[in-house]
Amino acid sequence: MMIRKMRFIVPVLLIAAVSAQGGTVTLSFNQHSTQNMFQTRDAVAEQISAFSLSIDQDFSALSVLANLEYSAFRQTAGLGFFAADAGFDYLLPTGAKSAFYFAAGGGGTFYRQEYGAFSSLGANLLGAFKTYLAPSSILKLQWQGMYAVYKDSLFDFLSQIATLSIDKYFKTRTTFKADAEWGYKYFLHPFLPEPIEPLTEAVTTMAASNGMGTGTGSGSGQGWGGQRYQGGNGFIPRTSSEGGGAGIGHISLSLLAAQGIGDIVGLSVSAVRQWTVTGENPFLSIEEFYLVQNPSTDSFSWEGRQLNGRITMNLPWSVELKAGYTYSDKTYPGVESMSLEGVPLGLGRNDLRHLFEARLEKNFRRGSLFLAYSWVDNRSSDPLFVWKSHFIMCGFQWNLPVGRKGGIS
Amino acid sequence: MSTKFALIPILAALVAGPAAGQTAGHFYDVDKEVKIEGIVRQVSLEPRYKGTAPFLVLSVEDPRDAKRYSIEVSPSWFFNQDIHGGERVTVVGSLTGGPGEAPTVIAREVRWRGETITLRDKRGFPSWQGGPQRKRGIRRFGSF
Repeated sequence: MMIRKMRFIVPVLLIAAVSAQGGTVTLSFNQHSTQNMFQTRDAVAEQISAFSLSIDQDFSALSVLANLEYSAFRQTAGLGFFAADAGFDYLLPTGAKSAFYFAAGGGGTFYRQEYGAFSSLGANLLGAFKTYLAPSSILKLQWQGMYAVYKDSLFDFLSQIATLSIDKYFKTRTTFKADAEWGYKYFLHPFLPEPIEPLTEAVTTMAASNGMGTGTGSGSGQGWGGQRYQGGNGFIPRTSSEGGGAGIGHISLSLLAAQGIGDIVGLSVSAVRQWTVTGENPFLSIEEFYLVQNPSTDSFSWEGRQLNGRITMNLPWSVELKAGYTYSDKTYPGVESMSLEGVPLGLGRNDLRHLFEARLEKNFRRGSLFLAYSWVDNRSSDPLFVWKSHFIMCGFQWNLPVGRKGGIS
Repeated sequence: MSTKFALIPILAALVAGPAAGQTAGHFYDVDKEVKIEGIVRQVSLEPRYKGTAPFLVLSVEDPRDAKRYSIEVSPSWFFNQDIHGGERVTVVGSLTGGPGEAPTVIAREVRWRGETITLRDKRGFPSWQGGPQRKRGIRRFGSF
């Protein structure tokens, strides 16, 4: 099995490495351990090994990139995925203090049959402008558009995000930064057809016809995908006789204050407030897996607030320590809280989360080694999503010397 | 094909890489590595080399003797990091520049606000990677 995989991976590596002459090649390996893979009250422990290879090649102001990634899950083997993406970016200076940045890319993520519904192909465009209003003040504008199609077309979407940020650095070594964001995500066809029979049976039928196995379609633990869909069990689509698409849009404001203390310590606090200004989530219930790009929830899904505090320290022997705490209060418009028996509770889903994170990183001659620990306490109006868990991650990154050594690259 | 044999050309390709394209005059000389601690006075985007993207260049003043250094950072950093005039930085890099020229440092490592940004390995090979597009992906607990 492993040899079969290597026969595929090795030629890819060879082509990638040879084509990267003069560029940058980065290999990384991360090992993750979690007590709660699916982030529900029914904790499932998991060990995940993630490998990646990135290549970056500059051609004048144009830079080409490619990335390959493979993640293996020990318990939930069906979640193992292979991802590949490629793209280019272009830097266009407009004087010594300003520049435009453009990027385009595409890629795919491919899961095994059990989670085949998550497999996707996508493309993205990005345009940004950055300028120094003064040596101590920066203005940035950015727009990003994305399009993705999934094996299960419920998740197909178009999205765009525009951001504006401005900051100011003071002699007291304090930086203030303000961000404003507008985002809109349009699910192209997120609804199942209206059931003729009772809802739960119809969901079961449709899920099965989508190759997702059988399930009860409730929050009872059987879930949308049913028995062949290991873990999770929180996702429930809506039905509609009209079909069509559904969009959700938000605006958000964030403020950040950062303070340098001495030469080795950095402190920052930030606050984000996000409002859903149009539409709602098209799904009745959503879920969020660790380390998996879950298509039913992302930065568009919620409104509420988030507070963050962080400390960064440069320690002796090229060791860096980062630690932070994040409190979030998120409501998911359109998503219902349900009892463990799958009965709607008549209120929207709201999650309060406390997240502690710490990361220790040691830099070596050609790479880095890190150890990270996180602890999450998630309280939710939906009892399925009341959980606490630890996450441990360690890994290394190795930069291969295929670039030129001169000042240029 | 045996996997052991398959790895040989990969390693050969990787080892052959560094020999290509080194420039005679302006290159990272590990024997001329210096550490500069100072205040950023100017930030600019300058075309430094033919056939490459413009570089982010910092003008850093050493407060002890008011000497200014031109710090070559990298092509992509202009968008990835926000560094301001007036900030204190520590730069480790290779000193270049002939007699009568302003001292220039090819940065290997930049430290500020308690963070270390590694731009090159200890032999001077670049390790930077592009702009905001690279920041996509899944938010992992502990990844910051």
